[in-house]
Amino acid sequence: MPPKPHRVLMDRVTGYADEASAYLRRRRLTRKPFSRVFVSGGRISACEAETDEGRALFLAAADVLDAAR
Amino acid sequence: MPDPSTSAPASAADAESALEQLEAISADFRGGVILDSAGKVLAATGEHETWQVAGSALFEAADQAAGDAVSHVHVGTEDGEVFAVRQNDFALVAAADRFALAGLMLFDIRAALRELRRGGVGARVSATESKAAAA
Repeated sequence: MPPKPHRVLMDRVTGYADEASAYLRRRRLTRKPFSRVFVSGGRISACEAETDEGRALFLAAADVLDAAR
Repeated sequence: MPDPSTSAPASAADAESALEQLEAISADFRGGVILDSAGKVLAATGEHETWQVAGSALFEAADQAAGDAVSHVHVGTEDGEVFAVRQNDFALVAAADRFALAGLMLFDIRAALRELRRGGVGARVSATESKAAAA
């Protein structure tokens, strides 16, 4: 006996919602801290936390977040 | 003759108004500070001294990392995101929730700084009144 049409629709919506929530969860888990600095001429550089400059930038950003608490 | 609506000096009240506007329009905004060209706090959502130190240190670190004066900075951490923009004679440093949309935050920050550059709402009203009186 085939399933009722509304059940097919509900299963499909539930499946999409599960996929979306899994995508968001993966995005949250895999996203690492990052920094980008933009200079007037259009140059953009990304600073890694392993470098001295990057570490100083992340520490300064942490202080800003602390100030906002 | 320069337009008075774009040349009025910004006061601390104007800066506070710009910060309040940013707080109202930006859902992810947690707090921030507006600094003048000398690095002095014009307005902040918390203690001025704390924000001055934090804001200045961020720009100093960003300048050092870029090797030049930066126009804007975006740092994402696990606790939240930090945006800093230098525009005209002002700088705004803002803390935001994690996963804040960078383009939207930067747009809102620039709009707030543009408003401040014009001298805030009060200056625009007085400029309109002076234009009306002259006409």
